[in-house]
Amino acid sequence: MEDSAEPSPKRRRSEDGYEESPPRRRQISRSPSNVSPQYRLAERPAHHGYSRADGADDSEDALDHRFYRDRRSTESPSPSELHARRSLTPPLPEKPTQLHYRQKLVLKGHKKGISAVKFSPDGRWIASCSADATIKIWDSRTGKLEHTLEGHLAGVSTISWSPDSKILASGSDDKSIRLWDVATGQAHPVPLLGHHNYIYSLAFSPKGNMLVSGSYDEAVFLWDLRAAKVMRSLPAHSDPVGGVDFVRDGTLIVSCASDGLIRVWDTATGQCLRTLVHEDNAPVTSVCFSPNGKYILAWTLDSCIRLWNYVEGKGRCVKTYQGHTNNKYSISGAFGVYGCPPCQYAFVASGSEDKTIVLWDVSSKNVMQRLEGHTGVVLGVDTHPTQAIIVSGGADRTVRIWRSDEDMQHQQPIEPEPLITDA
Amino acid sequence: MNLSLVDPFVLAQDCPEALTGRLRSGHSTSIRFSHRGDLLASGRLDGIVVIFDIETNGVARKLRGHTRQVQSLSWSADDRYLLSASQDWKCVLWDLKDGSRVRTVRFEAPIFIAELHPKNHLLFVAAIFEDQPVLVDISSEIPVKRTLPSAPRRSQVERENASEKQAAQDAKQTSTVTVFTPSGEHVLAGTNKGWMNIIDTATRQVQYSTRLTNNLIIFIRTTASGRDIVVNSSDRIIRTLHLPDLTDPKVDFENMRLEVEHKFQDVVNRLSWNHVSFSSTGEYVTASTWMNHDIYVWERGHGSLVKILEGPKEELSVVEWHPHRPFVAAVGVDSGRVYLWSILTPQRWSALAPDFVEVEENVEYVEREDEFDIQPIEEIHKRRLDLEDEEVDVLTIEPVKAEFEPGEFRMPVLLDIEASDSEDEVIAIGAGQFRRKSPGQGRDWMNDNEAVASGDEQKKATANGTARAQNGTKRRRAE
Repeated sequence: MEDSAEPSPKRRRSEDGYEESPPRRRQISRSPSNVSPQYRLAERPAHHGYSRADGADDSEDALDHRFYRDRRSTESPSPSELHARRSLTPPLPEKPTQLHYRQKLVLKGHKKGISAVKFSPDGRWIASCSADATIKIWDSRTGKLEHTLEGHLAGVSTISWSPDSKILASGSDDKSIRLWDVATGQAHPVPLLGHHNYIYSLAFSPKGNMLVSGSYDEAVFLWDLRAAKVMRSLPAHSDPVGGVDFVRDGTLIVSCASDGLIRVWDTATGQCLRTLVHEDNAPVTSVCFSPNGKYILAWTLDSCIRLWNYVEGKGRCVKTYQGHTNNKYSISGAFGVYGCPPCQYAFVASGSEDKTIVLWDVSSKNVMQRLEGHTGVVLGVDTHPTQAIIVSGGADRTVRIWRSDEDMQHQQPIEPEPLITDA
Repeated sequence: MNLSLVDPFVLAQDCPEALTGRLRSGHSTSIRFSHRGDLLASGRLDGIVVIFDIETNGVARKLRGHTRQVQSLSWSADDRYLLSASQDWKCVLWDLKDGSRVRTVRFEAPIFIAELHPKNHLLFVAAIFEDQPVLVDISSEIPVKRTLPSAPRRSQVERENASEKQAAQDAKQTSTVTVFTPSGEHVLAGTNKGWMNIIDTATRQVQYSTRLTNNLIIFIRTTASGRDIVVNSSDRIIRTLHLPDLTDPKVDFENMRLEVEHKFQDVVNRLSWNHVSFSSTGEYVTASTWMNHDIYVWERGHGSLVKILEGPKEELSVVEWHPHRPFVAAVGVDSGRVYLWSILTPQRWSALAPDFVEVEENVEYVEREDEFDIQPIEEIHKRRLDLEDEEVDVLTIEPVKAEFEPGEFRMPVLLDIEASDSEDEVIAIGAGQFRRKSPGQGRDWMNDNEAVASGDEQKKATANGTARAQNGTKRRRAE
């Protein structure tokens, strides 16, 4: 199964990949990949995570938890929390420390590793793209394969849904971006051409009139979708661009690259408004805005995911999530929500090179659950827009759907046993 | 969400300063911004209405249905419907959801201006050439036209003392411009004798009249609040007036007196003004000049001229100010291009790297106490991670003004838009051969089968998508 562990080869940041390019000073000065133990040292004590269930570290955990709650009461709480406290004053609902996602479906069909999976904004579909140059659209409820989109000439690294869930954009190693009509499964006749190298990342604007793309050619392009033309080129980075995203009102774009920089751009003027960089300059492979648009979440190849407050001062790293492995692949993830509506909390979901999916609480940075099941690196993770469902895809060529047990109470259950769908 | 990151000095500017862009699709004759400000409707000489997307500067939709120059445009409050009035003596209400024609209303004379009711997109008011203005109810298939009076309201005393000549003159007056107040309860009408009438929409009676000038009133525009109006008249003077709150039931029309707040004119050159418009807040008044290339901007606080926007080498007709931003669009009379003025935002160097700071003068660097202390790297990492103990809220969405709301109408993005190039229309006539579309051509097919709704046209476009797209590729290659 050696080849199965190899997705679209361009997404792999292997050592030989760096050797291809002439050695540069910055890369030499960058800490070599074997120094990652230093982060392990810095990791929080291992009492968090799934090992907590056996109660070994209960006392310490409880202490940690109490501290966390006390501080919350002294600091200014968010409006939603205020509301929650006021409405349910006597029994303040305990903030869950664990999540209970279970694997529900395994979707097979891709012939090579899967580089990304995405729920459609209406939650109805799952799109997965693969190094086998195809994109598959699955029904998110039943796992039925709806369409296989064929047309790209090389592996597909990235996909993005239009806000109305009708169009899917895909970026491929054949340097083209294609738009697909999801209803018919047909490709739009005019591909978006302009990048000189592999396309790594795509994002639709919230109105669906623009698309931003990041490429291995170090450029970030803003496309006018109606005319299928590049509207603006952002002189973004000096290394391959790993991730791009639009903020929820479309006025900002974020991009990140292997040069370790995260840049925030004004969509209207094309100007760089902010640059975020962590001291170690670790290559940034993926980036996304938080659901409210106030923070930026960035994946770096030092096995860290960082949450940045890009507004305050010059931008500040507010959280570092650790516990997964990420030294080689461009792994992505998403924000998710847990808890009942009056007091909802957010978690971060990410794939990992140790074949798991890791879920962290956003504020406490504790690992809330590790989802095991994949037999290869998990490259793409996405959360359902409204329900407690996670979808993941990875180098083992499978798409897996995970549901939270709590969610099953008010959702009608589908197949109780993991179902294998062969396409 | 970009506002917190943008240079506050740039944000503080509220008046555009430089020509920053051009839009082109055919020969534009009239423009109007949508209420949300993301779209600009442009009526063309050949009768086609083009919707520009201000974000991409591209064409979002083309609406075919008129055969002659488009005279005026008006958006519904939710930006879903657009009313266009053309010199083919027709008004068309378009549904931008699918580009279809909801209603077509024919008139017996050219239309000066047609304005949609601010709350009811199935009601509009139109000023007609040498005729009385009409309030048109298009809620049913057959439009119901109700005539509005143009004769000014006279007091009891005046009416008794009126000579026959005066009565005859009053009766002969016609309205040259009619607009709704933002509440929609009243219509402001300007007449060819310089009177301004306030007409109640429900009773269709003139409630108040005032004579602003002896000449014809060309144009009236209100601010978003409806408390200020700007009036352009053929005596080469632009007047601004402050209105009382007309929605207040206690407003006393009998004893009301409207005073002209400012008179803007060019005393030296005696320029006359093509078109006037308010800025988003009503703080500025802007006007395009007849036989001149400039856009004048006056500030209303002191009534002074603050800026002359230059750039194009042609006379400008319609000038419009963006509903929220310091952004002005104007139409060139000769070329039919739409010129855009806005603020220039220079790239700030400090944004390009986190340790860059823009300073006014040299600053002596002061070393931190522990700046060069050597500490174990693990220790630093651990300390840093322990500091990350704040509560973060990544979910709560702060309501922002003028933001896109999920339930609102949003125009679908058409990928197959035929000839979405906003530049000159070029058609392929053979392998590798192209020629420019001749100006009258767009009109021919329209006269042949006028009954074809543009909705059908869209369907055809999708069906022929492949063939068209091939042309599209060629076209781009040719550029």
